Order: sequence, then structure tokens, then C-alpha cells
Amino acid sequence: MKHTKEGEPYGLVTNIQKYTIHDGPGIRTEIFFKGCPLRCLWCSNPEGLSHSRQLGVYPSKCIGFSKCSFCINVCPEGKDTPIIYRNDILVNINENLACDDCFKCADECPSRAIMIWGDKMTVPDLMKIILEDRNFYLKTGGGVTLSGGEVMLQWDFVLLLLKACKDAAIHTCIESSLYCPPDHLEKVYEFTDLVITDIKHMDSGKHKEYTGVGNELILSNIKKTVELNKPLVIRIPVVPEHNNNEENIRATAKFIIDELGNNIVRLQLLPFRKMGTEKYATLCLPYPMEEFNAPEREVWEKDLLHLTDILKEYGIPAVAGSSGKML
Amino acid sequence: MESFIEKKLNTSESAFPESSSIAGQLYDNALKHKPFPIEPYDREWGIGVSGAVDEPSPFPRINKILKWMKERDTSADHQRAVIYTEGYFNKYASYPQILKTALCFRDLLQNVTINIWPDELIAGELAAPAKSAPVYPEFAIDWLCEEMINEPLDQRRNDRYVISEETKKELLKIQPCWKGNTLEEHILSTLTEEERKGSHLEKGVNFFGLFASAGIGHVCADYETLFAIGYGGIRKQIEEKLAALDTSNPEDIIKKEFYDASLIAIEGASSYIKRYANLAAEMAEEETDEQRKAELLRISSNCSQVAEGPARDFWEAIQLWHIATNMIIIESNGHSVTYGRFDQLFYPYYKNDIEKGTLTREFMQELIEMGFLKMHQLCKIRDKTAIVFSSGTIMGGTALDVGGVDKDGNDATNDLSYMVLDAHAHTRIPNPWMGVRLHANSPREFKIKTFNVIRIGTGEPKIFNDSEMIKSLLNYDKPVEDARNYVGIGCVEPCVPGKTYGWHDSSSFNIAKVMQLAINGGRCIDCGPHCMRYEKCAGAGGRLGIDTGSLETFKSFEDVKESFDKQMKYWCDIMISQVNKVDFAHQRLKPLPYLSLLIQGCIDKGKDVSVGGAIYNHSGPQGVGIGTTADSLTAIRQLVFDEKKTDGATFLKALKANWEGYEPLYAIVNSDRMHCYGNDDDYADDVAKFVTATYCKHVEHRPTPHGGEYMPGVFSVSQNVMAGFYTAATPDGRKSYEPLSDCIGPVHTEMSSHDRRGPTAIAKSVAKLDHSRIGNGIILNWKFSPGAVSGETGRDNLISLMDTYFENKGMQSQFNIIGKEVLSDAQKKPEQYKDLLVRIAGYSAYFVELSEELQSDLISRTELSFD
Ligand code: SF4
Ligand code: SF4
Repeated sequence: MKHTKEGEPYGLVTNIQKYTIHDGPGIRTEIFFKGCPLRCLWCSNPEGLSHSRQLGVYPSKCIGFSKCSFCINVCPEGKDTPIIYRNDILVNINENLACDDCFKCADECPSRAIMIWGDKMTVPDLMKIILEDRNFYLKTGGGVTLSGGEVMLQWDFVLLLLKACKDAAIHTCIESSLYCPPDHLEKVYEFTDLVITDIKHMDSGKHKEYTGVGNELILSNIKKTVELNKPLVIRIPVVPEHNNNEENIRATAKFIIDELGNNIVRLQLLPFRKMGTEKYATLCLPYPMEEFNAPEREVWEKDLLHLTDILKEYGIPAVAGSSGKML
Repeated sequence: MESFIEKKLNTSESAFPESSSIAGQLYDNALKHKPFPIEPYDREWGIGVSGAVDEPSPFPRINKILKWMKERDTSADHQRAVIYTEGYFNKYASYPQILKTALCFRDLLQNVTINIWPDELIAGELAAPAKSAPVYPEFAIDWLCEEMINEPLDQRRNDRYVISEETKKELLKIQPCWKGNTLEEHILSTLTEEERKGSHLEKGVNFFGLFASAGIGHVCADYETLFAIGYGGIRKQIEEKLAALDTSNPEDIIKKEFYDASLIAIEGASSYIKRYANLAAEMAEEETDEQRKAELLRISSNCSQVAEGPARDFWEAIQLWHIATNMIIIESNGHSVTYGRFDQLFYPYYKNDIEKGTLTREFMQELIEMGFLKMHQLCKIRDKTAIVFSSGTIMGGTALDVGGVDKDGNDATNDLSYMVLDAHAHTRIPNPWMGVRLHANSPREFKIKTFNVIRIGTGEPKIFNDSEMIKSLLNYDKPVEDARNYVGIGCVEPCVPGKTYGWHDSSSFNIAKVMQLAINGGRCIDCGPHCMRYEKCAGAGGRLGIDTGSLETFKSFEDVKESFDKQMKYWCDIMISQVNKVDFAHQRLKPLPYLSLLIQGCIDKGKDVSVGGAIYNHSGPQGVGIGTTADSLTAIRQLVFDEKKTDGATFLKALKANWEGYEPLYAIVNSDRMHCYGNDDDYADDVAKFVTATYCKHVEHRPTPHGGEYMPGVFSVSQNVMAGFYTAATPDGRKSYEPLSDCIGPVHTEMSSHDRRGPTAIAKSVAKLDHSRIGNGIILNWKFSPGAVSGETGRDNLISLMDTYFENKGMQSQFNIIGKEVLSDAQKKPEQYKDLLVRIAGYSAYFVELSEELQSDLISRTELSFD
């Protein structure tokens, strides 16, 4: 666990979203932690991948070097600054040139054309924000959802935060790939009221091809979650041409029935949307599904409903989309 | 769980006695095989679909009339203008003003052409054909004649009027008579230089034009008494009063004039309704279709009854309600003439008709929808400037409320509350302007019904928080039973119906402009020789306001606040003297003997409503630009005094340069580094509280000429766009002439939306302001993307969001639920979006009929999306 200069433990957070209504019951505050061990091709939050702070670059927001140039003026690399501009406008930060990671340019940039992905936040910092919406949680059975990236990568800090939430009687939910050591989970579950996870593919080879890791650890952690009697919501991100075949869906159903005894709260099938391309660009990362042509709305909607019906045949509480009641 | 409406349905279906009246029987037969048209409480009509459906109503008649009305052009009609001109300058020229106006009113109603339109079940017009606007020359007429000649009204981009050659000829003929005799000219002649300089005519601190060139409106009649005793009953009251007068008492002479005028007004009203009775009977004679014949006969008997007598059933009551309200508009040239608490007013008739079997519930549903269509036929003609800022309103302010508590504070929701909401889903027109009153014990089913209608995305209805609305009236010393019976006038203004003459929209006050004068030594930020006043103002060493300090010299944020407070006092005083002059002008020139029949107090006191006859009197000017001002002062506090990122002199230069050459500062004030109102951030919200309290302090409880007290309001309708035109760059990161912040909401500039933390933060910030002190009401506009409110999850969380907002003492909310992309697309392809209704401020309007400025303002409002 990392600590601030003052010795406070902190977590690295990419985003905090209030009035989240689809990740857990009621009105929630969702906190996205930075860093993820998986590399899903369809990831739409690439800012959550790396576990260190990163510069994000939005050239369209730059107001022009001739009018501003705050960034290069403060850059300690001086003449060799990695900040590249063309036609008076910021283009990029050159990864091949030395960068101090001091983030001074981002601190100074008035228009947030250069910004920082990843805020260091302590438990009191986060609790202050979380508690602001307490009345809304109480009214709706809502609370806090910790997500990512992969929330379990910062499990020791997350543990502290969850504990603080439970001390304040706030409902807690984690949204995790469950790709993590089982003993971490056990500790975190002590303060967790609801778990949301994905089954991305039942075939471990395919799983590795699409996400960079096999599915064995994930599936065994899912089993463990059920054994520990944690309320569990499973999601299938239905990605056309990747995991939307009937065979995979039936295999998932079989796993839920045979291995989990159908002891889950919900199974949600979520549509794939080509999203996040802009964010990849700001991080100077290629979008892995750039070439992929997403089908028309009617096509995927039909597909989603069809797959949901198959799952229902098994008696599984499956629904398409996330706007139905969760609990 | 079975809702109470379903329970009632189940029990009364079987116990339903046979209908007795002819039309009732006809309807029973016609409807026997139809699906029951009262909708389940949780019926959904789609999310964000707005009005874009062909046949929204289960009643073919309603769909047919909707179509007919869409195809009919809006126009103007000269008859009222001609008859009034004849009365004012010939027949009654020598009479006291109140008798003159009463006689003109009577002559008009006895002579104007009348029509009953195809398939209608309720008769009545505005002394002009359907969708045609009467003309009111006694207020102002030159603008209309000039536009007819130079800028034909049928060529307008929006608010188009097709005016016949005959009407043009007649209006041009009478125009010269009115030279120097209109209310507008009279008011202009009374204004001092002090009052003129900050008005809409010059520098735009205070916009009092609405009541200076048209009527007051903004009133809700005492329908309860009218329904119970009819015009005949009211006449009797007046005759008794008259008999008791002793004209050797000087004041009784004035009272006598008032009572005489009242009797003339009643004569006019009764004969107008009788004429419809006769017309219906004549038409029935000619009619070959048996069903229509029966309908016409019933219309005829309804009208004969209510011309003098009380309403005896639902149909008669709705007939009287409609035509009585029309006559208020015909007389007064006011808009926001409000239709009251429909479910409370009509429930006794509804119940009685169901029990006695006079009318079926289905048929009453159809009558409600018919009533909505009749409101939709009402037209008002506005000048070319007004329509840029308040376009698409047709009549405007046809407010009607349902739900809420009764006089004892218990829930008063009934079947009609639900039926009225269904009627909107079945018509999808921007009339009436619906308000739903909610309170701690509103039934869950009723909330679901309300939010399912809201989620259609037409912008209707708005919701009121009973506890804050009631509190705001208690703050003005209303008895609690009266306060509990409030209606929202027009947009939102809290008002005790039937007892109040509230002048609820007497002015729009540009708080952001005052803030500018307060940080620039009393001069405009864009001061220079291009200004129309330069020679006599800054050019001669003068200033528009008073010198209360400048950003160049302030030493602390306290100095800034003090300067703002002094500048506000100066301008609020001027605004109040302006409005008071307008008030006196109405007293002198425009007595309202017909309206006085329908407002309690007038007959008792023997006093016209315009001179203080009503039991409660007010004047309610609206503060515009709370958010802009709050974020501007906050930016100064943060950057100049706390963080010292810049100094006051530089900040001021940046504003004067409209940010040119100061791009980094412009970017900073628009960035997430700033404390801004609307983010549940006390640093900024405290400033918003200060701004609101300063405005209230200088306005509230001051006396008005017609009696009673001033009541401040905080909403802009669309005046934020207009006021923006008069206001140069502001420190919140707004460029010159962009709109000000809308109503009580957070800022959105061209560069960024300043509410960055979602709806819960907005709800909390806004609720920090003391709403109950804002006696003339507030508006909070929400815009959600359809995805954010779809499904049960979206619905229930939206309801809870509002419940919590109301528990935190929020007063009002209204919603747009349409994706930004849809709006942008509609701006490009208007022909494909003819039925797209959206929320403006106090009302909904057809998006494609809005001016470009309003369309863009709407698109830029923050969209809260959680897809
Ligand atoms: S500081 Fe930001 S806005 Fe200024 S030149 Fe650099 S990138 Fe552009
Ligand atoms: S001269 Fe200057 S201060 Fe005076 S009104 Fe004109 S712009 Fe404003």
C-alpha cells in the first residue's frame, strides 16, 4: 500500500461518478480504481489499465502555444521537453523522450488539454465525497460501488475504504474481474455487501486470447464467492463474433447451474458498444477493436434477447441490459 | 399492490348504473366494445419519444381534431379591435373608463362572429376564430401595423401568423385613432431618465415590457363560486350591494360605477354564452348525423344552463370553465390565465355523475382531452422581438395543477388527478402547462404515473413541492387553508386561487448586469462610444449605475459583496418605481370589470381588481442570472483574493476585452479547478445564497400600488437569453451576449457546463438557497438523456432523487428527456420533428417552432447521462 508524504495510505483513482444507478441497487457513488491485470480487447476504460499515474492529452482543448505555452515553460526538461506541438497546437507527449513524471505541465495547463489520469486519494478524501450523497443512498437502498480498472489490485487500500463505509452504515459493492488471489477476496468480502463480476468466456483459451489471461482463477473465485454466500451479480459483456455464440452461452449456463447451484442474484447480458476510442487516443494507445464493425442496434438487440431466452430456459435469473431492478 | 384507482375501477364497473342523458347513452353504446381507456397507473408510453406519435389518444375524435388543428394556420382577427375602437372613440367616449371598458366588452361579446368547430364537445372562442388571435389596440397597435406592412408576419421563421387582407385593412384603418391613447405610450410618457436608462429600451437591467404593452393576466379565477351560483348568482350579489349604496357618500359614487360596470360585464358574458346555445341548436337542426345532433343539442343545453345558472354536471362545468376563462383573456389581454386545481374543482361533479350515471368515466376522460384541445386553440400575437425570446407559446400560461393536499393538509389526489395526466399522454400538446403537486404522502402510484408521463419527454408536467410552496405563501401571511389550496400561476408562481391579483411576472431583473456595474465603478463592462447613451453618460464623465467600487480597487471579497449589495439596492429601487408606474397606468386606463366578478374581494369592497379589489395583492418581479452572478463572484473570490492567481485589474481587463488575449484565464474559469454553483460545494453555494438573499432583501414585502406586497421570484423563463444580449462578458467564463444561466440552475457557458458532479450535487446545491423566501417561485430545469431514466431503475431512482430534493426543501422541478443528438438533428431537419415538444422554462413548446437562439440555449443545457 502506498502512503502520502504525511503517511496516510492512498489509492489511485481515475474517476468518481455520482448518481450511478446501474452498478448495484439504488443511487450510488462509483469509484474507479486505476490499474488492471487484464487486457480485454473491448475495454472502454483504457485509463484504468496502467497502475501508475499517466498524462492524458486532448489536443482539441489546447488554446495554442502562442497564447499560452504554460506547459513548456514549466517543463523541467527545458529545451528537450517531450511536449510536441504543431501549428501552434499541442499534438502529443513524446514517450521516447525523457519525462520527469512531475506532471507539472498538467497542473499548469489552464484548459486541461494535458491532464492527469489517476488522483491520489486517501480514505478521508473519498469518505467526504461518499458521505455527501448519504441521504440519496438511504432513500434508495444505494451506496458505494468500487470499480476499476481492477479494484482488487489495490485491495489493501480498498479494504480500508470498505471498512470506513461499513462504519458509516453504507451499502458496499465491488465490481471486479475476480482475477486476484482468493485470500485477498476473503478479506475484502468481510466488508462487501454485493459483488458484480463478468464471465467473459467459458473457454479458457479464448478467454486468454481476448483478455490476456485464462479463466481458471476467475471461475474458481466466482465459486468461492457463492460458497461464502456473497450476493453475486454476473454479467456477460456480449461481444459479437467473440463470445455471443450459443455454445459459449450454454456453457456459461451449465457452469452457473452445476457449479454455483444457480445461487446468483442476476445474470445481466450487456451489449457491446464501440466506446472509449477518444480515451485511447488521449493515452496514445491503439484501440484494439478499431477495425471491428459493430452490428446495427436491431441486430444486437435481437441477439441479446435471444441469448437471454436461452439462459432463462435453465431457470437462470437472466436479463438483457442493466436498467431492470437489480435486487 | 392494487392502486386505489384500480380498486375504484373494479368496484364501480359492476355497480355502474345506466346512463340517463341522451348523450350519455349514446356514449355508453359507442364505447361498449372499446378497451377501457383509463390507463393503469404504471402504463409507460416510452422514454424520450415526445409528441412524435400519430394518434396518441384512444378517442378517434381527439386524434381527428388534433390533426385538424395542426393543419390550421395561426392568424389574427380584427373584430375585437374594431368594436373597441368604436366604443372608445365614438359610442362611449365620454364615459368613465370603467364603464367604457365594460360596454366595449359587452358589445364585443354580443356582436362578434361565433363558431362551433367540427366534432367539438365544448363551445367557446376568444372573440376570434380558432387559432386566431384577437387584437388589443388599447395596449399598443403600432408595432402590429408596422410589422404587417414591413415585415409580414407570415414570413417569420417561427410564430407565423397568416393575416387576411380584410383584417389588415381594418387594423390600418383604426390605427390612427389610437395615436397617443395606448397604455404603452402613456407608460413611456411617465418614465424618468433614471427609469429609462436601465430598462429594456436602453441598457437591459430591468425588463418590464411585458405589462407595459399587454395585459397582466397571471391570475386564477374563483371557479368554485362561479360553478356553484353561476353568473346569475353573482349578479344577485351585485344588485344587493348596489341597493345598499348611498351616493351622497363620495366613495359610493366610485363603487356605483364599479357595480354598474360589473352588471354590464355579466350581461356581456351571459349573452355570449347564450349565443353559443342558439348556434348549437341551429346547427343541430341542420345536422343529419344522429350522434352529432345529440351532441349539439347537449352543447346547446349546457350553454343555456351556464349562461346564467350554476353548473350541474361535469360537462356543464367544463363548458363554463372554458368559456369563463376565455372571457378573462378577451377582456384583459393577459396571458398565464390559470385554470386552477382541476382535480379538486371537478371531483364533486365527476363523483356525482358516476354515481347518478349521468356521464361515463370514459366520456369524462374524453371531455378532459377536449378541454385541452380547446386551450390549444387559443392564440396570442407577439411582436418580432418578443418571439425571439418567448416563441412557440401560442397563448401561454394555460396552467393547471393536480394532486397535492387539501385544506386540512391531507392527500387530495383522486381519479381525476390520474386522468389529467393520461390526457396529456393522449394529446401531447403544449397545453395546458401542467403542474403536479407532490407532498410527503402522495400515493406511490401517483408518482409513478407522473414520472411515466414526464419520461415521455414532452416536458410536461412540472412538479411542485407542496411544503415549500405552502411555506412561501405562509411567509406572506396567508391563512394555512388558503396556502394549502395554492395553484402555480403560469410557469410556477405560488398563488391562492380565486382570491389573488398577483402581478406575478411584473418584471425580469438582470442580476448579472448589476454585478457587472458593481465591479466596474457603475459602468457597463462594454462601455464605449458605440453605446447609445455614451454622449450623456460615460462620455460626459457619468455612469449607468452608481460608483460602488471596482475590481481595480477592492481589497477583499467583503468589499466586492458590499459593492454588489449597494448596486443591487440602487437598481431594485429603480425597478420598483418603474413597475409601480406601470401599475398605476393599468389602474387608470385598464379596469377589468369582468375579471373582478371572478376574484373574491372585489364585489365585497366595490373595487375593481386593478385598484386592489382582490383579497390578496402582490407584484412579483423575477431575478435572472443567479448562477451567472454566483459563479462570477466566486471566481473573483477564488482567483483574485484566495489563490491570487490573477489581480482584479487584470481580471477586469480580460472582461473588457471579451477574453481576447486572455485565453488562459478564460480556460481556467471554465475549468474544473473552479468552485462553481451546482456542485454541492459550499465555497460557491454560499455565494449563490448571498446573491439570492441580496435580491430578496431589496424586493420582498415592499408595498405595491394596488395593495399588498412585492414578492421576489427566481426564474428566467427564456429571459436569460434576452438579458444575455444586454450583458457583456462575465467573470464566470461567459463571453459577451451569451445567455445568462437559466432560472435557478447552474451555469453553462459556450465552453463548459459548470455543474460537473451530477444530479445529486445539483439538487443539494439548489436546495441550499432559501426557496420559501422566494415567494414568486423558482424553476429548476433538468435535462436527462433517455438512457439515464429508462427502465424501472431509471424511473425509481429519478423519483427518489426528486423526493430527496424535496425533503431538502427544493421547491420545483421540470424535465427535458431527449437526447442532445435528437435536438441537434431537429434543428437541422425541422420538417421531420414537427411534433417534438420540449421544455423551455415554465412551459413546453414545439422545438421546431422556437427561435434559433432558444434552440441553441436548450441544446447547451447540461445533459445528465449515465449510459
Ligand atoms: S498549457 Fe495546455 S493549453 Fe497551454 S499550450 Fe500547453 S497544452 Fe496548450
Ligand atoms: S456610456 Fe458606458 S456606462 Fe454609460 S450606459 Fe453606455 S456603456 Fe454603460
